[in-house]
Amino acid sequence: MELYEAIKSRRSIRRYTSDPVDDKKVEAILEAGRWAPSWANTQCWRFIVIRDPEIKAKVADTLTKIKLPDKVVDNPGAAAIKTVPVVIVVCAEIGKSGSKPGPGGGGEYVTDKGDWFMFDTALAVQNMVLAAHALGLGTVIIGAFDAVQAEKVLGVPEGYRVVILFPVGVPAQEGKAPLRKELSEITVRDRWGK
Amino acid sequence: MDVLEAIKSRRSIRHYKADPVDDEAVNTVLEAAHWAPSWGNAQCWRFIVVRDLKIKGEVADTLLKVKVDNEWVENAAARSVKHAPVLIVLCAELGKAGFGSDGTPVTDKGDYWFMFDVALAMENLVLAAHSLGLGTVIVGGFDAGKVAQILEVPAGFTVVTMTPLGFPDHKGQVSPRKELSEVIYKTKYGK
Repeated sequence: MELYEAIKSRRSIRRYTSDPVDDKKVEAILEAGRWAPSWANTQCWRFIVIRDPEIKAKVADTLTKIKLPDKVVDNPGAAAIKTVPVVIVVCAEIGKSGSKPGPGGGGEYVTDKGDWFMFDTALAVQNMVLAAHALGLGTVIIGAFDAVQAEKVLGVPEGYRVVILFPVGVPAQEGKAPLRKELSEITVRDRWGK
Repeated sequence: MDVLEAIKSRRSIRHYKADPVDDEAVNTVLEAAHWAPSWGNAQCWRFIVVRDLKIKGEVADTLLKVKVDNEWVENAAARSVKHAPVLIVLCAELGKAGFGSDGTPVTDKGDYWFMFDVALAMENLVLAAHSLGLGTVIVGGFDAGKVAQILEVPAGFTVVTMTPLGFPDHKGQVSPRKELSEVIYKTKYGK
């Protein structure tokens, strides 16, 4: 698929079929993630590929419930995770991105943003959701879950954090494009307010 | 350009030609950035397109110096910022990404989700630039407070990252990647 077309036609997919997704496609998605740029090429990302239904269900249970005025309902992402054959969890090694290079990785952050692991993992994630879309597969990036609980379920060691996860599957719906702000609302020339 | 081809052939470009980049190309890459997904569709990103030479120079001076052989030297990206005709600065509105409708943070990452969402947009931007034959290099090592002053970024917003945008004057090196097997586990960590 042509890049620009992929960028504009990608949607967050919340309903899936349970059709299988083969390892070759999963590998192509991960490969796309791996080619993202990163702070001083530190590549702090780590990917966990889940196919085990029991573990998928445990991860789905960590998702933050949605509070409606009269009741609390499951995040639609939870059902998606249980339905799809594959879930990719993106973790980050802490203390690498945003750090001064040095023996053992430095650990001294050089900007007011501290650790840049959120930034670098997102660069990889955007590549992965675009690659999945180009392969005809749907994804939705999920950040609202109990990361500490997910780390326990997945056996993530100390020094690493779970950042986001996304289901990978065959879409059962055409995703909607949420309204975007106009470019003129979010872009300025040379200086703010000009 | 094909998606996977663009992803694999994009390089960080640090040397630029002075050739002009027209507004149409700039709008195309911004449009691509803007199509990124975001937390609750909050679209916390804001873009500042800098063409003014003096302002570009001032921003370049905020880049952190690099220590080479015990000597502090200018970051290679500072020269890129000065030479490329366009500089795109990405800011974030605080208190949007990662927050629930009641205004409290939803996760243990607090408000750092602005870093995540801005990066989703930045990746689209650098890929779109590459498919137009334009080079970029994502810069994060600078004094963000100083840049906010220079660009008159109001309170409630923070400057996150920037990239020069211009025609590459070199091919760009492939930074070696870890093997997929080093970064991937099946089902549980370390497995």
